[in-house]
Amino acid sequence: MENTIPRRIYDFLKEFPPFNLLGREVLMRISENILVQYRQPDEVIFRQGDAPGTHIYIVREGAVHLLREINGESLMVEQCDEGDVFGIRPLLASDNYALTAKVVEESLVYAINVEGFREVLENNPRVAFYLASTFAAGIGEKYRKEGKPMLFLEQDKMVDANFPLVEIQSLEKSKDPVTCLPDTLIRQAAAVMSNHEVGSIIVVDEERRPVGIVTDKDLRSKVATGAVSLEKPITAIMSSPVITVGPSITVADVQIEMVKNRINHLCITEDGTPGSRVIGVLSEHDLMVVQGNNPALLIREVRRCKNGGELRNIRERAEELLKKYIYQEVAIAFISTVMSEVNDELITQAIRLCQAEMDEEGHQRPSAGFCWLALGSEGRQEQLLRTDQDNALIFEDVPEEDYDPTKGYYLKLAEKVTRVLHEIGYEYCPGEMMASNPSWCLSLEEWKKQFSKWIFEPSPKAVMYCTIFFDYRPIYGLKELSGQLTEHIFEIIGGQAIFLGFLAKDAMQNPPPLTFFRNFVVESSGEHKDEFDIKARAMMPLADSARVLILDAKVGKINNTFRRFEKLAELEPKNKELYELAADAYEILMRYRALQGLKNKDSGRYFNPSELSKMERVNLRNCFQPIKELQSLLSTRYQLAYLR
Amino acid sequence: MLFDWIAKMLGPAPDHPEFWRQYLSSFDGVLGKRTPIEEVCFVVFDTEATGLDVKKDRILSIGAVKVRNWQISLSACLDCYVKQSYQPVGETIAVHGILPGARSPGDMEEIEAVQHFVKYCHASVLVGHHVAFDISMINQALKGLIGQKLVNKRLDTAALAARVAEKKGYEVPGTLGLDALCKKYDIPMSDRHTAAGDAFITAVLFMKLLARLKKRGVNTLGELMRGPSF
Repeated sequence: MENTIPRRIYDFLKEFPPFNLLGREVLMRISENILVQYRQPDEVIFRQGDAPGTHIYIVREGAVHLLREINGESLMVEQCDEGDVFGIRPLLASDNYALTAKVVEESLVYAINVEGFREVLENNPRVAFYLASTFAAGIGEKYRKEGKPMLFLEQDKMVDANFPLVEIQSLEKSKDPVTCLPDTLIRQAAAVMSNHEVGSIIVVDEERRPVGIVTDKDLRSKVATGAVSLEKPITAIMSSPVITVGPSITVADVQIEMVKNRINHLCITEDGTPGSRVIGVLSEHDLMVVQGNNPALLIREVRRCKNGGELRNIRERAEELLKKYIYQEVAIAFISTVMSEVNDELITQAIRLCQAEMDEEGHQRPSAGFCWLALGSEGRQEQLLRTDQDNALIFEDVPEEDYDPTKGYYLKLAEKVTRVLHEIGYEYCPGEMMASNPSWCLSLEEWKKQFSKWIFEPSPKAVMYCTIFFDYRPIYGLKELSGQLTEHIFEIIGGQAIFLGFLAKDAMQNPPPLTFFRNFVVESSGEHKDEFDIKARAMMPLADSARVLILDAKVGKINNTFRRFEKLAELEPKNKELYELAADAYEILMRYRALQGLKNKDSGRYFNPSELSKMERVNLRNCFQPIKELQSLLSTRYQLAYLR
Repeated sequence: MLFDWIAKMLGPAPDHPEFWRQYLSSFDGVLGKRTPIEEVCFVVFDTEATGLDVKKDRILSIGAVKVRNWQISLSACLDCYVKQSYQPVGETIAVHGILPGARSPGDMEEIEAVQHFVKYCHASVLVGHHVAFDISMINQALKGLIGQKLVNKRLDTAALAARVAEKKGYEVPGTLGLDALCKKYDIPMSDRHTAAGDAFITAVLFMKLLARLKKRGVNTLGELMRGPSF
């Protein structure tokens, strides 16, 4: 007996999440036990409130709608198309179906028995976690706790992603290592080394197995001093035996070997022992090059940069680092910390350079100090890719007669700094939200007045400014100025429910789309669009909601959206779960935007659903639910109906 | 006719092998004209053979799936390959791409495969695309073994497709091939020309045709069998 038909099912399933996370054998076994069901339009597969069934379902062809029935009305929650999994509730929870599954087009559906699949879940936590994360709040808690939000990158991408840190880069460089036989004369060997411009030569036997190594240091200390004649064979000065390593070695391993053996060259052989052929050489220099993209090193190097071009270079190296982190699914909290450290250091260095330039040009530094603020996404420590610069400047209050010269100096400084930032690759803000704009380069007193005005006389425009300015974070200078401003804001915001109402309303302006279906974004109205704006439709609603709630809770100093949600989860235990989901969703969205940006070499903001894999669609789509719930929470809490 | 009736009265002849006796007894009162189609077990199958000459050619493989209540269970499908000694005629190799012994070595004799099939389908309604040929191939083998023929009800998906199109088969030449129908009904055509692959495709096609007939009031086996066949 053969397996022709199950293999066909297998070939289909392996393309779709979560089945693509399963091993061949396991998936084949699932395929062998599948039920292929023909479903006609209007047929109901299960109904909201039904007891959990015995199968979960995958759409093979056609379309199935998931509906929520409220007071006799059916609200469409999800449209499932080819490859979508639905009806997984019996797998994760023992309660009744929360939705109705209704067939809308002639469909073939694969049904998998829950019993068999539960066992698969036990042995494949990634699959369990995936299914749980695709599931709206409250269910599968058991599985949800087990991991961080992930993109579930496909395996081939993960391999691609292994590029920078590990061996591959250095191996490329040292491909075809320079070698010679033991009877080669020192003079000949030295000539070979200088022809190839290398600092070392490996002495090998007839089989190309390493016998010893000679470095330029050996030449300098033993030959140049006259201690050994140039006409002697190379073996007279070589170090032996050679320390060898295998081709798959990490940077850490290399470092350890070098330190342990007090050497600065390692020989790479086929099997890692001196008994196999030489395939490469690693020098301490190679290692430095590889390590060049380590955050601490980058930050240190920033301080040595002398102009925008050099700073830009560092920022580009930081992007390589970002790519690696994103592909390796490093926690976003770590990534955003590293990237904003780098950003902060770049801004700081830009300010230092410009101040020095001002000094040189003979501008007297004013006695009133200042503080440079980052706004918007950099203010929230969420700027992974370079986007527009948003910044502002506070200077200390000064006597009236000193005001103009002080402001004049800081405007000039800000103009220079924004120009350097532009050189680094942060575009000018089209809305002029920059410290070089006289409206945003103000004394502390002026800033306090400005915020009071926004808060006491809220208007749509004021709210728009608030959404950007409220995420300020001090980067350089007198950070207490920023602290005083924050105190002032919390003082006056107290009785201003109406202002928070305005902010909340703004946070609800953009409801997320309903879902993705085939190559379209499906709006709640049923309308289909072919472009998705991840910033406006998913990230901003979350960031805006977090801001209102955290302002209301009077918590300063936490600017990061997902940290704000984490804090809120702590403060409001009854909404803990929603806030945690929101934090996870924001993390996924940040990752996804960075990924798209790196792929398309842009800010990652807009893309077409057809660019998305099934897994990516599901991941994004799952972020929409907490947004909707948050928006309805805001609506209730701030009674937005009155403000409309 | 009379002879058949007498044979039935007497029950299966005692010299029939066990598998055939079980096969015949499986027909007792299972299906009636009024049986709703949801309760009927259909065996959708396909055979690949060394050629198109029922007398000379031999079965290479048999694939079959069961359709019942709009559903195929993959844990119960049939996928048999036959050991080959018979040298095939060139043209069939071109169609199926099967070289005996080359594509799948096969692990059973033709007659074993046929017995598997008989045990598998029992009293089910046999469905296939141009099913008459496949049944003849099976019957030919059965004849050599025990001098018997299949007695199942049978349905041809090509005929059903013509019925759905409300045309006679000869009015729509070229549109009733499995490829053309798969295209028409959006059925992906991987594994074409393996018996099991074709059986599966035919089963999906069958369900789609059946759904269309049901919409026109075909609810029972009797109503389904009443249609024209060719």
